[in-house]
Amino acid sequence: MEEEKKEIDFEIGMKQNQELKLEEEPQQQQKQVGDEHVLRFLDSVDNYLTLFESLSCTLRQGWLELVSARHSMGASRVNSSLLDLKVHSASTSLQVTPDIVDSMEEQPHFILRKWGSLYDGKCSYEDQNSKVDGLQGKSGSPLPRHRGKPQLSEEISPKQAPLMVDDQVQKKRSRSLSVFGTLVSPQLRAAQLSFETALETLVEIANMRSTMLSTFNGVHKELGVAKEIR
Amino acid sequence: MANRAQIPTSNSALIAMIADEDSVVGFLLAGVGNVDLRRKSNYLLVDSKTTVKQIEDAFKDFTTREDIAIVLISQYVANMIRFLVDSYNKPVPAILEIPSKDHPYDPAQDSVLSRVKHLYSAESVASGRR
Repeated sequence: MEEEKKEIDFEIGMKQNQELKLEEEPQQQQKQVGDEHVLRFLDSVDNYLTLFESLSCTLRQGWLELVSARHSMGASRVNSSLLDLKVHSASTSLQVTPDIVDSMEEQPHFILRKWGSLYDGKCSYEDQNSKVDGLQGKSGSPLPRHRGKPQLSEEISPKQAPLMVDDQVQKKRSRSLSVFGTLVSPQLRAAQLSFETALETLVEIANMRSTMLSTFNGVHKELGVAKEIR
Repeated sequence: MANRAQIPTSNSALIAMIADEDSVVGFLLAGVGNVDLRRKSNYLLVDSKTTVKQIEDAFKDFTTREDIAIVLISQYVANMIRFLVDSYNKPVPAILEIPSKDHPYDPAQDSVLSRVKHLYSAESVASGRR
């Protein structure tokens, strides 16, 4: 009898432990999710500040190069009064797509399209439309002209496509510089590259900002839920 | 709440600027300048003659245009319209406060960091980075 009582008590104890574990599991999972949000938030704040330090360095270099160009070319040739006020579209723009986080909220994701090509922070690759136009020669777009070699446009190899894209990018860069005259100083070209680098950093900052705000909202919700439980 | 706003998809969104001359000229060299058919540009060059009203109007215009995804604003200019910048909470366009030649970036004044500052020590951000 005593042994049976002991067994029954043991089983009751086991069942109570199992029930307690089942109650604790969702709370532990919630705590893990909350910790993950906090870590991601802290990482994003750190990355945000590091990127701003990098941006400050790049901008300082760009301003210095711009001032050097103004010194060598003359203040009348490098100033804002020469800015192009005719109707024209931006050569460098952004691609914005919604990024779903934690299957709940959306945050924007920015990709830089530098001189019409896509730059995702790791590598730059040409715009899909310009690649197709270059390789296949759609009827709507003009094919490159080659004297004495009319079949050459059909034989453009994939290796030549990046070279054509580079040429297009260089042409757009030159067009942007031409606002300040035909012959520009190397410092002005260097300033252009520095500000292009600054743009890449700014797009990374914009993406980090989105991550920071979404993780902040996640942590905020966790704190709100924790207060309700208490 | 900003996180419940729908994010518009765009393949050729613009970068707007409200900044000093050297910053605007530099970024225009990088190809971000746009002038539409109505002769409206995507930048405002701020100098000693620019009024606070002009800056406010430009900020309101750039943050309501659908073709702009990022607004760059010099931090010292943002301080002139701080109330307007801090009250802005949409995800797009993203407002980024950038340093200028004479005014380095101060994280303590950044509106985004101010929004989230109660989750970390503000002192650790300002002092630990120097």
